[in-house]
Amino acid sequence: MDIAFFIFLSSGLFLGWSLGANDAANIFGTAVGTRMVKFRTAAVIASFFIILGAVYAGAGASKTLGDLGNVNAIAGAFMVAFSAALTVYWMVGSGIPVSTSQAIVGAIVGWNLYSGKTTDIGVLSKIVSTWAICPALSGVIAIFLYYIIKIVLKHSKIHLVRQDCYTRIGLILAGAFGAYALGANNIANVMGVFVDSSPFRPVDMGLFKLNGTQILFLIGGISISVGVFTYSQKVINTVGNNLMSMSPLVAWIVVVSQSLVLFLFASQGLQHFLTSNGLPSLPLVPVSSSQAVIGAVIGIGIMKGGTCVRWSTLGRIALGWITTPVIASVICFISLFFLENVFNQTVFLP
Amino acid sequence: MFHVRISLFSQTKALENKIDLFHDKIIDVAMTFKKAIRVFLEEQRSAEYKKLSKQIKQIEHDADAIRRDIENKLYVENLLPDLRGDVLHLVEKLDKIINKYDEVAHTFYIERPEIPSEYHMRLLELCEQVTDCTENMAIASRAFFRDISTVRDYSQKVYFMEHESDITSAHLREAIFDSELPLANKIQLSSLICKVADVADIAEDCIDELLIFTIKRDI
Repeated sequence: MDIAFFIFLSSGLFLGWSLGANDAANIFGTAVGTRMVKFRTAAVIASFFIILGAVYAGAGASKTLGDLGNVNAIAGAFMVAFSAALTVYWMVGSGIPVSTSQAIVGAIVGWNLYSGKTTDIGVLSKIVSTWAICPALSGVIAIFLYYIIKIVLKHSKIHLVRQDCYTRIGLILAGAFGAYALGANNIANVMGVFVDSSPFRPVDMGLFKLNGTQILFLIGGISISVGVFTYSQKVINTVGNNLMSMSPLVAWIVVVSQSLVLFLFASQGLQHFLTSNGLPSLPLVPVSSSQAVIGAVIGIGIMKGGTCVRWSTLGRIALGWITTPVIASVICFISLFFLENVFNQTVFLP
Repeated sequence: MFHVRISLFSQTKALENKIDLFHDKIIDVAMTFKKAIRVFLEEQRSAEYKKLSKQIKQIEHDADAIRRDIENKLYVENLLPDLRGDVLHLVEKLDKIINKYDEVAHTFYIERPEIPSEYHMRLLELCEQVTDCTENMAIASRAFFRDISTVRDYSQKVYFMEHESDITSAHLREAIFDSELPLANKIQLSSLICKVADVADIAEDCIDELLIFTIKRDI
């Protein structure tokens, strides 16, 4: 196997690490922020289920990114992932939960511009539309869950201590589901651009078989896990406390809402079920878990009268949404120029 | 995993029981106090009063032990992380009510005040109002843990009874100072009446804070 592939893959692993550092906050940030779940417990669960989701269900969203820009040279893929990773790393450093999906889309568009390939406007608009649909859908789900929980609590008269116990279990289960959905949906961001140049062959593990893409996703999933363990606590503190002060139950609603949204945008099985029954389905697109969380938090905040949402924090995050793809695109374009002309690497095939 | 789950549920159940037991102690102490004052007015510091006074002391000791156990469980097992401070504060405040009952009962025992019979009815009425106030406080606090929608109803009763006890104690003290009793006796009785009425005041402070905690508890 070509050693150069692993050197080029390092940027994808770096991006995976950034995604883990950033997006674990969206799954367990609220739970850890409200001190219902310990960080270490959260990190172990998140890592396991991210890898499971990535390997088992990561193919759907990955295909859509391939449609946006078929990055056909490994050096080009390296720079696309590297630009996105660098962008996310900078944004994470500033304590703002950013969108890895938007960073990679921006970087792919940068590659398209540099290589002279046409960006499929249909696919791009499909992806960009999810940037709006994702938080809106998450907000609607959160409002629905909020009502249901209120009614259940009113009628069940569960003791506060028992409610705390159920919420704790609920947060862990929702976090596990969220991690699975994140792995399934966002592995495309990390490894999607490397799929075409992947040298891996199918492997029979005895109990199950992994194809070449799944091995690539397994490696990507591990890099995300490393990010979760090593750097996610800072962002967890932001999501857990800065946007809106949350009770553990609200935290649970937020995690479930964003997990469902990520799952809806990643599940090939669900899409197949809906289309085969003549129902409309959502496109399989890597969406931003940060946006989903923010959508859910705003949904609940509005239900509570809007006074408890810290709109200034939200404004800073919204600024990140716009700047992330633009920065990633510019970095990618300039870096590709240097990679091709200074380091003499083939960054795209005609 | 199964063991962890069982253990988590059993710890939860144990703490629920402790909190319920603590509330039972408030109602116990209120009922015992009411009975003790009635006995005192009829028999002064009799063996029966001594027994009831000891009973109140025992309830106070038990409540202290339960309170410490609740506090310990909340911290050691990291339960209710977001509301722990509020729950601890509430439990401590409720414990103050129990302590006050014990203090008043003990003061009657030590000072052996001579209470003219014309004030008996009003003193019993004051005790009735004060104990009613604290009982409703205990029910409101119990509701905080199980059914926050009813906390407000009970809190209104607490406010009402506290107000009534203020009026009764003021009238009683006024009547005492208008009487021909020696000044020392008047001051002693007035001080005791204030102590009894203080119990309702503590309950009122407690309900003020409970209402804030209830707002915070709402998801």
